[in-house]
Amino acid sequence: MNKKLLASVLSVAMAASVLAGCGSGTASTAAPAADTAEEDAADETADEEETQTEEAEDAAALAYAGEINLMHYSTSEESEGNGGSDGFRTMIANWEEAHPDITLNQNVLANDEYKTQIATMAAADDLPDVFLLQGMNTKSWAAQGLVLDLTDIIKESPYYADYNTSYFTPFLDGDKIYALPALTGGTCTVVVYDKQMWADAGFDSFPDNWEDVKKANEYFEANGIEDAIAFGNGGQWQANSCFLSTLGNRYTGKEWFQKLIDKDTSAKFTDESFVKALQFTQDIFASGVFNEDFNTITNEDAREYFIAGDAAAFIGGNWDESYIAATLLADDEEKYNNLGFAVLPQPADATEDPLSQNIGLGYGLAINTKVAEDPDKLAACIDLIEYLTGPDFSDYVAKNYALGGLTKVEDVDLSSFDSVVQSFYNWSYVDTTTCEIYDSYLDPAVWSVCNTDLQSLMNGDMSAADVAADVQKAYEENYLGK
Amino acid sequence: MLKAIKPKMSVVWGFLAVPLIWYVFSVFVPLVVALAYSFFQWKGGPKKTFIGIGNYVQLLHDGTFWEAFGHNIYIVIICIVGQIGIAFINVLMVNSRLCRLKGVHRTFGFFPSTISAVYIGMIWKMVYDQKRGVLNWLLEAAGRPELTQNWMNNKSIVLSLISVPLVWQFIGYYMVILLAAIAAVDNEIFEVAELDGANAWQRAVYIVLPLIRNSLLVCITLCVSGNMKVFDHIYAMTKGSGGPGTSTMVMALYGYIVSFKNQNLGYGACVSVAIFVVSLAVIGGSQKLVNVIMKDKGVE
Amino acid sequence: MAKKDTFTASKAVNAQTPTQRLGTAALSVVINALLALFSLSCIFPLVWMFYSSLKLKRQFNADIMGLPAEPSWANYIKVLSNKDYHIGASLVNSTRTTLLSLFFIILFGFIVGYILARIEFKMNRVLYVVFLMGMLIPVHSLLVPIYIVFNGFGLANRWFTLVIPYVAFGLPIAVFLVESYMKSIPVELEEAAAIDGSSFSKTLFSIILPVTRPMLITIAIIQTFSCWNEFSFALVLSSKNVALQTVPLAMTNFKGQFASDYPKIMTGMLITMAPIVVLYFAFSRQIIRGMVAGAVKG
Repeated sequence: MNKKLLASVLSVAMAASVLAGCGSGTASTAAPAADTAEEDAADETADEEETQTEEAEDAAALAYAGEINLMHYSTSEESEGNGGSDGFRTMIANWEEAHPDITLNQNVLANDEYKTQIATMAAADDLPDVFLLQGMNTKSWAAQGLVLDLTDIIKESPYYADYNTSYFTPFLDGDKIYALPALTGGTCTVVVYDKQMWADAGFDSFPDNWEDVKKANEYFEANGIEDAIAFGNGGQWQANSCFLSTLGNRYTGKEWFQKLIDKDTSAKFTDESFVKALQFTQDIFASGVFNEDFNTITNEDAREYFIAGDAAAFIGGNWDESYIAATLLADDEEKYNNLGFAVLPQPADATEDPLSQNIGLGYGLAINTKVAEDPDKLAACIDLIEYLTGPDFSDYVAKNYALGGLTKVEDVDLSSFDSVVQSFYNWSYVDTTTCEIYDSYLDPAVWSVCNTDLQSLMNGDMSAADVAADVQKAYEENYLGK
Repeated sequence: MLKAIKPKMSVVWGFLAVPLIWYVFSVFVPLVVALAYSFFQWKGGPKKTFIGIGNYVQLLHDGTFWEAFGHNIYIVIICIVGQIGIAFINVLMVNSRLCRLKGVHRTFGFFPSTISAVYIGMIWKMVYDQKRGVLNWLLEAAGRPELTQNWMNNKSIVLSLISVPLVWQFIGYYMVILLAAIAAVDNEIFEVAELDGANAWQRAVYIVLPLIRNSLLVCITLCVSGNMKVFDHIYAMTKGSGGPGTSTMVMALYGYIVSFKNQNLGYGACVSVAIFVVSLAVIGGSQKLVNVIMKDKGVE
Repeated sequence: MAKKDTFTASKAVNAQTPTQRLGTAALSVVINALLALFSLSCIFPLVWMFYSSLKLKRQFNADIMGLPAEPSWANYIKVLSNKDYHIGASLVNSTRTTLLSLFFIILFGFIVGYILARIEFKMNRVLYVVFLMGMLIPVHSLLVPIYIVFNGFGLANRWFTLVIPYVAFGLPIAVFLVESYMKSIPVELEEAAAIDGSSFSKTLFSIILPVTRPMLITIAIIQTFSCWNEFSFALVLSSKNVALQTVPLAMTNFKGQFASDYPKIMTGMLITMAPIVVLYFAFSRQIIRGMVAGAVKG
């Protein structure tokens, strides 16, 4: 060993024991055929492609035979407990099975990695055939000619009459539509609260104004409950998506934001109403009703505060709601049955719709412009995206998760669900009014500036007027074009 | 340098050709491509608008970039002192005859470098966490609850806090390099010095330091270059934000945010080129500085 | 080495006065305590990852640092039995990529480092600076150009793709370490060989290579883990083809948009790291001996 090229000996030894180590690792957990673990794993992709059953539903309709590259972020982890993601994966599997002539090459990455990779591929003009387009990229990618204009295709869709057309707005450029909104529509700003705790504080339901929240907070603090509301903004996007986007609407109304989207310069981030919303955000986060560490923990940490009973309520998105509900159902049924849902309380000086919450579909299925060169392939891709967002998908998520998608489902039967699920469904889709999710629109650079500044604002390091000016500047530079 | 013998240059270039081509292709071609992009307003995709040095003009006035540059310099200084300094002391201690379990220390020290920054970041986030954190728990236990705070939200110290895991993780890395370097030094030199009555400090500064000067220089170069482009830890500990506000923003993270979050690829390319240029300046400066200091100490 | 230690120690102790001996004892306690503390902190992440892997997601989220109340192997079973995770294939990919990268990094690093240290020619310092520059490339903000270049040359998403950047970006460190190491080795070594009529390449591989072994082992250790854990290139250049994904990419299958199953990720990491870690511990004695005992007398 000493005399030889130790480095290369080491390498060979390493290779041998890596392989050996893997084999024995598998064996110790009593998996069958441990020796061939690697081969199994390598074969498995091939297997999946080959062993498609031959039940051809509407396969005859498609002339295309070959490959379609599909990129999305519904990892198997994502699909556990996330209804939209589970439905999406299920529909993909159904479609694959129904079209044995077409090989669906799926490239599945977790959301963070997906965003990085899809941006890289877009930059290199090398997008996959079908992919998930984020609302705020629509205009710039459309301008680059990267995504196919689906306007006419969507109008001819067999499901067109059932589409909830308001979900299309993030994917519009002028009157052209560039994607079919995918996955499930869920709120980004819901107050999840423990009815019992708030009843103890003297409130039968969650307060509709912040003064009452502050009063309740005094009660909670006196009774050993640390905070009224748990919130986590450690990733900087949460304060925007899960707070300001709805709160802003309470001050500015919907037209204001629509004007910003439409590049109508009569609306500005520096308008008094929006500055007031920022000012309120700063004040309420300084008031002590939230956990003190809201700027360093994430929403994932904050909801644990609520689950553990350290906070009486939590503000977050539908994804947090489903995690909280699933966890409590398993661990603490009593607390689960006490779950209540509310909209953000209305600030005293806000004048617009007090029942609004921001809801939408942030991602849509889009088709690469280059696919249009092959009409058969295009037809197959269209069939795929229409199926993934069509009635089968909506039925599946409505029946299994009480969630809604792009295609409306008549008379959703909620009777099989318990009262908590029912009340969240009604809260999301029936009892509240909607407003837009800010960062589904405009340009990512605008929100990057906004989110960084918001964190400083909430720490008291920046004034509302300065934040507004910064955001307006970023808006003008990146969205309006200098 | 070899003086007495001199191999044919054709042989030398023959040996150098493959590594050089391989290296230049992967490292410099992308950089040159980035340089080309940096003269465009480009949001990704096939369409670009040529704007000359527009991006560079914007960069000169970009407060966040220069703030990030300052943070990088701060981290570099902390890490040179922390990583290499502590590694050097550790190596001396491990090599000292008073040390027991030498093998264990040599083996364990390197361990943190094997774990990806995501987990290192996660562990240290929990150290600093306000409600559940180890640091606050220790302060409470020590009877000083008034000192507890939301560490990661304290703008004035958060950069230092975030450097601690960075220092800690790579001490072992430099220990491995220095151990190998010291291995090249003849053991008898230490023994003779010890018998001559040189104390530990004198041995370290006047004997070990000069002998491993070259390796130490490499360590400093590695440390400066590594920390001028530091990314993973800060990304992991601040959820990719460089927050609170921009208190922990570093250049590489800023370049990443501009390129990917904001999809301003033209400006992102400009930031990348700028990172490269300022890093080159800093590393050139640091090598000069080290040489001057070494000469001062009579080390040559 | 060990013998020499005790020999010098006894000689030194004999020469000490009682006060000095007390001082030495105190110093010994301090040194050992400091090192023990440091080593313990170094091993803690591994311990933490291990006991966290025995928790379920829910328990981990509720208490990140605590010991598992009811340890369970459920995560190991899930990770190894779910085909979506393609742990086996990713292990093979990572192993192949790491070994190939190591081989070329060491080979090229040795050759270039030696030449830069020993041979005088015009371009010598220029090349030195060129390699220095490579360490300053901010990879994360250059991913788009890298993707475009690799894609343009048809080098993306191949089985060998990742070896290219790993070798290129690992090379500067190797070159510098070898170069600096060569400077501490007397030139007479090669000159003697040359007089004996040994050719340049023979001298290089049969005389110099064994001598630089400590540094080459060091390079191997450092680079093994950086290749094994590398993420950005793996994402951008080879994520398209699932069959080519390396371990860090396969691990992202445990991540969701708004929630990640950290215990499961750690389980995956431990399983995939186990071979190298075990190897490192098993061979650490030889590795360290190789490093430390490689001194060249001259």
